[in-house]
Amino acid sequence: MSQTAQIRQAARELLQGKAVECVIGYERGTDGVNARPFFAYEAAEADRLIFDQTCTHDLAKYLLNRKGKSTAIVVKPCDSRAINLLLNESQIQRDKLHIIGVVCPGVVERRWGTPGAKQLNACQVCQQHTPVVYDTLVGQPVSEPAVADPYPDVAGMEAKPADERRTFWEEQFSRCLRCYACRQACPGCYCPECFAERLDPLWVGIRIAPGENEVWNTMRAFHLAGRCIGCYQCEQVCPVNIRLSLLNRKLEKDVLGMFHFQAGMDAESPPPFSTYQKDEKLGIGE
Amino acid sequence: MARIGVFICHCGTNIAGTVDIGRVVEAAGQMPMVVHAADNKYNCSEPGQALIRDAIAEHRLSRVVIAACSPRMHENTFRKTVAAAGLNPYLLEMANLREHCSWVHSDGKEAATTKAIELIRMAVSKVARHEKLFPKQVSLTKRALVIGGGISGIQAALDIANSGYKVVLVEREPTIGGRMAQLDKTFPTLDCSSCILTPKMVDVAQHANITLLTSAEVKEVKGFVGNFEVSIVQKARKVDHAKCTGCGICWQKCPEKAPSEFDMGLGKRSAIYIPFPQAVPPKPVIDTANCRYHKHLRFVEEKREGKPPPQCRVCEKLCPVGAIDWEQKDEVLTEKFGAIIVATGYKAFEPAVYAELGYGKHPDVITGLEMERMMSASGPAGGDVTRPSNGEHPRDVVFLTCIGSRDEQRGRTYCSKVCCMYIAKHAIILKEHYPDVQCYVFYMDVRAVSKDYEEFYKRAQESGAIYIRGKVSGIRQEDGRLVVRGEDTLLGEMVEIPADMVVLAVGMEHSPGSAELAQALKVSYDINELFIEAHPKLRPVETMSDGVFVAGACVGPRDIPESVASGSAAAAKVAALFSQEFLTTDPMVASVDQMKCGGCLLCTKVCPFKAIDTQVLRDGRTVAVVNESLCKGCGLCVATCRFGAANLRGFTQQQLLAEVTSLWQ
Repeated sequence: MSQTAQIRQAARELLQGKAVECVIGYERGTDGVNARPFFAYEAAEADRLIFDQTCTHDLAKYLLNRKGKSTAIVVKPCDSRAINLLLNESQIQRDKLHIIGVVCPGVVERRWGTPGAKQLNACQVCQQHTPVVYDTLVGQPVSEPAVADPYPDVAGMEAKPADERRTFWEEQFSRCLRCYACRQACPGCYCPECFAERLDPLWVGIRIAPGENEVWNTMRAFHLAGRCIGCYQCEQVCPVNIRLSLLNRKLEKDVLGMFHFQAGMDAESPPPFSTYQKDEKLGIGE
Repeated sequence: MARIGVFICHCGTNIAGTVDIGRVVEAAGQMPMVVHAADNKYNCSEPGQALIRDAIAEHRLSRVVIAACSPRMHENTFRKTVAAAGLNPYLLEMANLREHCSWVHSDGKEAATTKAIELIRMAVSKVARHEKLFPKQVSLTKRALVIGGGISGIQAALDIANSGYKVVLVEREPTIGGRMAQLDKTFPTLDCSSCILTPKMVDVAQHANITLLTSAEVKEVKGFVGNFEVSIVQKARKVDHAKCTGCGICWQKCPEKAPSEFDMGLGKRSAIYIPFPQAVPPKPVIDTANCRYHKHLRFVEEKREGKPPPQCRVCEKLCPVGAIDWEQKDEVLTEKFGAIIVATGYKAFEPAVYAELGYGKHPDVITGLEMERMMSASGPAGGDVTRPSNGEHPRDVVFLTCIGSRDEQRGRTYCSKVCCMYIAKHAIILKEHYPDVQCYVFYMDVRAVSKDYEEFYKRAQESGAIYIRGKVSGIRQEDGRLVVRGEDTLLGEMVEIPADMVVLAVGMEHSPGSAELAQALKVSYDINELFIEAHPKLRPVETMSDGVFVAGACVGPRDIPESVASGSAAAAKVAALFSQEFLTTDPMVASVDQMKCGGCLLCTKVCPFKAIDTQVLRDGRTVAVVNESLCKGCGLCVATCRFGAANLRGFTQQQLLAEVTSLWQ
């Protein structure tokens, strides 16, 4: 049975049995090629659900709009980490949730009207093809081969001299339109009032200017330090293609090295910045 | 618009010697919103404060910047000053021109002056955004907990009880009395330790305001000054003290003997025992590790092979009042207190790490505390000092000082303070009891700093004790005697002294479990697990945790007079606290803006004071709420809060950002 058929069956059963009010998944978009989020409320709607390599969205973000309501959700492995993150941060309740985890070989970049060919940057370096948390698993779990350097992209950036890095990021941030699409797509961005829109204190000016853009992008990255679950939604939705994932993955690599912590691998581990262990390597005085 | 006054202090020449005050006053006067800038020789002096009060009235100042010393020094002083002039005391900011500027930049007047101006600019920007803050009042429980029943805890408990307040004294051991009860005589007066201690122990037992809990330990501490909630474990004694009359039949007839902890293992006690005859309460406990009946029970319970040891239960058969209670279990009592005094004392340093001294190997090498028990008339030998190896009186006795003290490698870095004096005491008493004894003392320095101590040390020398300056490199056994080899650094040569006995003047160490207790009480402790005072000079019995006080040797090595004095001092602090009807809480605490709180509740996890609760709002959102009585204003929640919802009053994000941005505006 294909993954799509398995998802449809699971969704139908859940909705028929009134185990959940809503199943969040993917359906085919209007261009007939790409996928888009779909909210199934009736068992009859279950047959609209699909899963293939065009299902790029991290649907976990939508759970923030369904707090306290029983929901089933289709998640890829990276999205499943987002669910753990939200559980850890008391944003959603596990007992209201049915997780349909999909074993994922990777998804492709979106191109309007034509099937994408290039795998997402995220999928090229992915180390997790089986969801870390699920109630129903769609597909066979796969074992992950050990990789010498899981962060080749970050290593490439780290190897560059400081001046070159500076030039690179200045150019990247100079393109920023301050549309905040990255924030809207990110499952970890849910502040009731974003610092970018706060007037008192005014942490960052609203004007589109190099300094302000830099503050916005780096501050958002720091808010995700130890929290980014690597879904690459930010980079994917960025209309001017800023390499945001590089920033996030650098922080992920550092947090892993210093605190042996990866966000979203489980729902219980305390965030690294809220604890202190004696073997933490902070690179200070060592 | 704020009307800000800036008052720049010379602090004598402390600030004025390095900072060009004239330029600073001129620059401050031109800063935005500053309507008055003045300098003063000493802002903190009464005339200085009067000038500030007058200026507030004359220039209708609404906010004040004091550019002087550290706020830790005088912020409270100046809060009172501005309050006396009718301003809210929190509309004040201090710029630290002394510790942060003049003292550290004494080599560059120009740079120091520039920095002083910038510090004032920051303070002006911040104070403009200050808000009026108002302390709150909370009620308090006028009942004190004293942890530790040594001389310091006894003194503290008695003083509080005599002030008319209720006290609970908790002691881990079966009796109060602590280390002092083990001592023979006390320096420098040589009065008998137990003769002066036991009346106080009896006072404790008989005082209507004191509840004594022995064989009990503090497990958990919740709450805050005025309203602590403490869980105390009353360990099972297997004897119902409500019934027991302390007649003594049980411990006289108990057939099982074990080494006496009180006698440092030199004597024996029974398995049901009181540690020493004057113990308070004078009622026994059963040591279940050694009790024959408990050995029997364990044998059966663990289903061991073979024939179980016989059940003894002699105490139960002989007890005339039926006080033996085999079913007794550990009990947890939860009680409310308004203040806590920690007086957990010390334990003697374990000298086994000094392998070359052969403690534990040569029976005639003993510690100072063992010597005390030997010398004590109520000790296991009735005061007769004999060699443990053969029971003969020693002729040559060598004392080694600083065992475990002043030693960065194997011991503690600090001086244990009492060792020099108790060695002198031992030498004097030995000479008195046994005129043919020759005492030798190897010392690093003799420290005899309190009243009559130097004279006491002289007396030891005059009694014939030979003081040799130097350290001992080893002790060996030869012909049934010991040979102590060491260096006489004054003569610059190695010396060897044959000895019948060697006494190691072991120092003081933290009592076991100090770190755990400090953590439960949220009191800081140092690398040696000694409690840290709020200020070593000016607040020696307070801690950084309000309502928790420290007394005696748990803070550092102390002799009896100092322990008693600190016990009384802590009691005075408690009495002063309890004389208030309400407690006012510091308003500089955290707050959470519920509109901005995203409910991740990380703040509740990082808060060291458990001061953050959660609340479900009517719209279904769960948000964090600060309990202002518990909050100490540490700011961890503010640093943790990604939403920017947590803020610290008096250090709000707006105020801090204003301070920082003023530097480049």
